[in-house]
Amino acid sequence: MNYFPWLTIIVVFPIFAGSLIFFLPHKGNRVIRWYTICICILELLLTTYAFCYHFQSDDPLIQLVEDYKWINFFDFHWRLGIDGLSIGPILLTGFITTLATLAAWPVTRDSRLFHFLMLAMYSGQIGSFSSRDLLLFFIMWELELIPVYLLLCMWGGKKRLYSATKFILYTAGGSVFLLMGVLGLALYGSNEPTLNFETSVNQSYPVVLEIIFYIGFFIAFAVKSPIIPLHTWLPDTHGEAHYSTCMLLAGILLKMGAYGLIRINMELLPHAHSIFSPWLMIIGTIQIIYAALTSLGQRNLKKRIAYSSVSHMGFIIIGISSLTDTGLNGALLQIISHGFIGAALFFLAGTTYDRIRLVYLDEMGGIAIPMPKMFTMFSSFSMASLALPGMSGFVAELIVFFGIITGQKYLLIPKILITFVMAIGMILTPIYSLSMSRQMFYGYKLFNAPKDSFFDSGPRELFLSISIFLPVIGIGIYPDFVLSLAVDKVEVILSNFFYR
Amino acid sequence: MEQTYEYAWIIPFIPLPVPMLIGAGLFLFPTATKSFRRMWAFQSVLLLSIVMVFSIYLSIQQINSSSFYQYVWSWIINNDFSLDFGYLIDPLTSIMSILITTVGIMVLIYSDNYMAHDQGYLRFFAYMSFFSTSMLGLVTSSNLIQIYIFWELVGLCSYLLIGFWFTRPVAANACQKAFVTNRVGDFGLLLGILGFYWITGSFEFRDLFEIFNNLIYNNEVDFLFVTLCAVLLFAGAVAKSAQFPLHVWLPDAMEGPTPISALIHAATMVAAGIFLVARLLPLFRVIPYIMYLISVIGIITVLLGATLALAQKDIKRGLAYSTMSQLGYMMLALGMGSYRSALFHLITHAYSKALLFLGSGSIIHSMETIVGYSPAKSQNMGLMGGLRKHVPISKITFLLGTLSLCGIPPLACFWSKDEILNDSWLYSPIFAIIAWATAGLTAFYMFRIYLLTFEGHLNAHFPNYGGKQKTPFYSISLWGKNGVKKNSCLLTMNNNESTYFFAKTKYPIDKNGRKMTRPFMTIAHFEHKAVYSYPYESDNTMLFPIFVLGLFTLFVGSIGIPFNQEGGNLDILSKWLAPSINLLHQKSNNSMDWNEFLKDAVLSVSIAYFGIFIASFLYKPIYSSLKNFELINSFVKKGPKRILWDKIINGIYDWSYNRAYIDAFYTRFLVGGIRGLAEFTHFFDRRVIDGMTNGVGVISFIVGEGIKYIGGGRISSYLFLYLAYVSIFLLVYYLLFSTL
Repeated sequence: MNYFPWLTIIVVFPIFAGSLIFFLPHKGNRVIRWYTICICILELLLTTYAFCYHFQSDDPLIQLVEDYKWINFFDFHWRLGIDGLSIGPILLTGFITTLATLAAWPVTRDSRLFHFLMLAMYSGQIGSFSSRDLLLFFIMWELELIPVYLLLCMWGGKKRLYSATKFILYTAGGSVFLLMGVLGLALYGSNEPTLNFETSVNQSYPVVLEIIFYIGFFIAFAVKSPIIPLHTWLPDTHGEAHYSTCMLLAGILLKMGAYGLIRINMELLPHAHSIFSPWLMIIGTIQIIYAALTSLGQRNLKKRIAYSSVSHMGFIIIGISSLTDTGLNGALLQIISHGFIGAALFFLAGTTYDRIRLVYLDEMGGIAIPMPKMFTMFSSFSMASLALPGMSGFVAELIVFFGIITGQKYLLIPKILITFVMAIGMILTPIYSLSMSRQMFYGYKLFNAPKDSFFDSGPRELFLSISIFLPVIGIGIYPDFVLSLAVDKVEVILSNFFYR
Repeated sequence: MEQTYEYAWIIPFIPLPVPMLIGAGLFLFPTATKSFRRMWAFQSVLLLSIVMVFSIYLSIQQINSSSFYQYVWSWIINNDFSLDFGYLIDPLTSIMSILITTVGIMVLIYSDNYMAHDQGYLRFFAYMSFFSTSMLGLVTSSNLIQIYIFWELVGLCSYLLIGFWFTRPVAANACQKAFVTNRVGDFGLLLGILGFYWITGSFEFRDLFEIFNNLIYNNEVDFLFVTLCAVLLFAGAVAKSAQFPLHVWLPDAMEGPTPISALIHAATMVAAGIFLVARLLPLFRVIPYIMYLISVIGIITVLLGATLALAQKDIKRGLAYSTMSQLGYMMLALGMGSYRSALFHLITHAYSKALLFLGSGSIIHSMETIVGYSPAKSQNMGLMGGLRKHVPISKITFLLGTLSLCGIPPLACFWSKDEILNDSWLYSPIFAIIAWATAGLTAFYMFRIYLLTFEGHLNAHFPNYGGKQKTPFYSISLWGKNGVKKNSCLLTMNNNESTYFFAKTKYPIDKNGRKMTRPFMTIAHFEHKAVYSYPYESDNTMLFPIFVLGLFTLFVGSIGIPFNQEGGNLDILSKWLAPSINLLHQKSNNSMDWNEFLKDAVLSVSIAYFGIFIASFLYKPIYSSLKNFELINSFVKKGPKRILWDKIINGIYDWSYNRAYIDAFYTRFLVGGIRGLAEFTHFFDRRVIDGMTNGVGVISFIVGEGIKYIGGGRISSYLFLYLAYVSIFLLVYYLLFSTL
């Protein structure tokens, strides 16, 4: 076992390198852009290297553990470690953030700060996915809120201040509950606070207390995930943010909620989870239908995609609450898959907006002729989003369906009902996503705008969308690649539900 | 022999490189790829021919020694469950793959010319090859999940190809409609698959049937649930094969290029539903009510499709409704349990209908140069007529297809349809009567299409000659109520704007314009005479596939004709399907009684002739038989009876022209309902849920402002409040204690 602190380096490197941006010479945006891209790529390579050579995928235990005492007074450690559950989201973070930085190429205003914030978010996200200490998790959780807030209120659209305020109030409000939960877990039972995940896993609480903790954590993650009725910050935020921020938001930030649900609510509080899971199942089902319908009623392109993300999050919730191996695997796969698809859709919507300067779907139309490549990519990703077989979304949703079907916990009739309603979401998804692509691209329209503003996607954008598209197809054709990462860990988590 | 089977997994993958390469090429190097046009087309035809040879070889082996072969690989393995990928070669698969490849090759060759001037020539070939891939994957798949995957993929291809001309708003709507309608079916299919997985724990067909039969035998299943699952599974087939409640997408799907209509929406993809039901027949057979449901849906579709085809003015839509009706026949046959005749009709119908569609494409292609490129004009049968002289080869082949579909003896569809009709007598007399009557209707509407298209004179040039004043009422009401007006305005517009149309035709004919320039050269000189240009016969590249399909239509029936050989009288098809099920003929031995056959055949042929006779009576061009019409008028014009008759005919035409009001119903209630619901949830989300958060924000803002106002820093107000509270407290204290 080597003791090289891989994870610490991975977590700290982006923000540290990012802060050096301010010391770069004033030579225009080019330097900053290239610098940031290089940092991102280096970080991604570093992560991949560390995970390739120092991570045993068949081991369900925590690996690459680091444990440094930080604050002696209440036993607060800098404790990092990864397992099968977090390796997927971390790699996703690296991938999406690198691409988002590439997507942020046109940003010229205040680009130092912008790129620094991107890198800071990078650190915060990887930190929260890899922390093994409750308080550290909370701190990392908070750390990435600030960059999002700043990115939103400085580089957003017209209503950016409103959305930024809404975002920060919602998430900070959620964080209060998270903090309460963290402190509650830490202070229960013993004289010394126990912030370590490992010890908390093996601890059991009185049922009432567990339920209270569960509710606290759940509210925090429900805001982030988002789960109805706490979702309204999401369309506003996505509608206003710059598309690179949107990529990060849709690709990673939403997944943190789902990750937290699995990591804390499922792993630490299994009793309460098995009590709550029927309700979660109902909420998830309602969310799929409700968000799909709301998405259909949106005129704003980005908001429509945002609601589609909300709708897809419903599958994750259902997968988590199905309490089966299969379902949880499906939820994890959906986390990864939607990370790619959501990010790509926001990217394409943003680049389209950059060209035609129209937000409302009913004003658009007929841009397939000037932009055939954009059309191709957008259609492909809307197909991926409506779970076309051969793409990642299909496998994830199918496995979630299996999870419900094979679940031992529920009776026949509720299972049938839940499956039925979920499947109705399958009908609604093509309605909104295809009508979106129809309204944008199909038909014929003469544009008043000068012709040179209608160029098709350039090599950078092409590269970006292809490099998201390939994993989507890859996962769709060979899902074991992602599933194998987390299989053992999932089994361990679920064994809690059967042995207690 | 085993080896051939071992390599059969390659069948779906052979055509796959073409779409991948063309796709990547078009995406990354558009100009370079486009310059290799013909080369790519050749590749796709070549690869598909390889598949054809392979599948013919396989099916010869199937005929010689009927066996099936299955092989599976694991796809997703998990602790709890595993999904397999595999292939299954059995008679059904080999029949379908031969069908797909032969029709596919013909259509590919045909579309080389048909799409020659289109901007999206290569895109078209990529989609087509991708379709062949997924359709071959569908028929070779060995489990239900795999079926579902390819089921969706063919739906995707259909979506892409219907929306091929994406600048047309109609096409855009049509492709979305097709996808969503099919998704409704897929919804059922997925739920059905999951349900059966829940019951039996398997997706593999053979395991599934075995386990399920055991369960039924031991009476261990909940019949209600099983029936529900079977109905849901059947819903998938209903949507894909355009059966009654979900048929609405098929006529709209005709917005796609005509080769697509021939391949996807007539011959192969729509047959996927029939394929699925045939595949799962061992499952459906043991569930009590589902077979009745299948046959009822089938018979409804038969009748509905035939009545809707009666008054279509778009040639392709007419053919589409006829496809729907014929698919209904197949479904009916499956519901009756006669597996063999359903498949037989599937084969014969596929060739005949592909022939008809390709023929109509050839006509459309030649009409386009005259009336313009809008499908509302070039496919309008009202503007056609008299094409007999101008496109003789197309005419002969189209007539062949029409006769075949009507069920005239030596042609393909006669044999299969006759079989279904005979079987229907054994099943239920009511169904039989409807089926027989619809055979007459089929003959009627097919000949209506034929006569309107080929007989008489070219209506595009002679709006007055079509006879507006002289024609009896029901001949006008061919167009429905507003059709008359629309038609005439179309025609006048055509005359006025002929130059416009011709100017427009230059657009697709860029550097590749090879042959179409001929008529235009003359037109360019005589602008006024341009109106009198005549349609030309299509190119040989287009005529060759039509010709080949014509041959198929002539001879494919022979595979189902029982030849009296010494080894018993088995026909090829029965030999092919030897191990399969034949529910209806279980008791009676398989040998066919020629006398009975002859009797039934005479009956069905006479019904068909009756239909043809009526059609020619009504639609034979008026000017050639004016006297006849005077005669009829004097006959029929007798008081209220005549009005009643008109009303009935008008009603039928309205019914048919408005698509039986089903589309309107769906638009009003389903689409409107979903839209209303979406508006409502949007409103709810915006006003209630978001309103709550905003309300909290506003309230806290107001409270803050209030506190700010109160806590303005003025000592006097603090003092005032302090004293006021103290005095209130004292007062309360005093009042409370004074009572004691």
